[in-house]
Amino acid sequence: MSLTLLQGALLVFVLCCAVGAALLKDTLAAVIAFAAYSLGISIIWLVLQAPDVGLTEAAVGAGIMTILFILALANTVTPETDRLFEPIRWRTVLFVGAFVVALGATVPSLPAIGDPTAPVAGGEITQYYLEHAYKETQVKNAVTAVLAAYRGFDTLGEAVVVFSAGVVALSVLRREVFA
Amino acid sequence: MTVDVLQLDLLTSRYNYYAVVLLLGIGLYMLIESPNLVKKVIGMNIFQTGIFLFFITLAYRTGANPPVVTKGGGPYVSPLPHVLILTAIVVGVSLTAVALALIVRIYSEYGTLDEDTLEELYYD
Repeated sequence: MSLTLLQGALLVFVLCCAVGAALLKDTLAAVIAFAAYSLGISIIWLVLQAPDVGLTEAAVGAGIMTILFILALANTVTPETDRLFEPIRWRTVLFVGAFVVALGATVPSLPAIGDPTAPVAGGEITQYYLEHAYKETQVKNAVTAVLAAYRGFDTLGEAVVVFSAGVVALSVLRREVFA
Repeated sequence: MTVDVLQLDLLTSRYNYYAVVLLLGIGLYMLIESPNLVKKVIGMNIFQTGIFLFFITLAYRTGANPPVVTKGGGPYVSPLPHVLILTAIVVGVSLTAVALALIVRIYSEYGTLDEDTLEELYYD
């Protein structure tokens, strides 16, 4: 797929939001920029034909994550400042720039976006799931079939992670309240 | 001249991968440089989302439908990266929740979220 106007605009939007989140000094402003970023990313998932991921990102990334950040800010402090942006430290920019250039040098060897013969999009495993998912699980949505049936243990592990995160968060915060 | 054409061609056919690289860079910068702990967590999330974009872009196929199998509807995009990223999003939220709980705890103990001030307080 060649670059369309919608794609380009969305990518510019999320990159601007990310830079805003990085440079805004006020943490509440950075959290709001991050929420806008998540929303932009979830629209990108829709454009890339991943509605399940888009829904999850919009609900969890832009929704729950923002609530968590705002709750944390409400219980802590936002730094008082008269500066809008943080100063840029060029030594770190240089280091990150080297990282970006090193990663960017690998991009030309990746397959073009949307290439049907690319290893992932046209691969054997993809074909297997698309052909057998409905026959073997009676679920029409291949993503759900893989998530709940083929890789069910993965999802169980995910549930364990969420549970332990809840336990850890509660135990860390309870000590604060009852100490 | 040929070099310029080649570069432009790379940008129009692999634009998402360049966005991935830039997002990883922004996330890394925030992780290293942001003095505020909350902003470091935001940076971690931006880094993660960059990796998600890499996976979902790999799954994409031109003119394909979402992987909901109906009669004669193909081709479809690959469902497997979508599944991996769904799991990763939920794990990312768990990670953020724990990090923010620790941040609230650090604030109640030390009264600041500034990295340099925390370092001074810790070594005193």
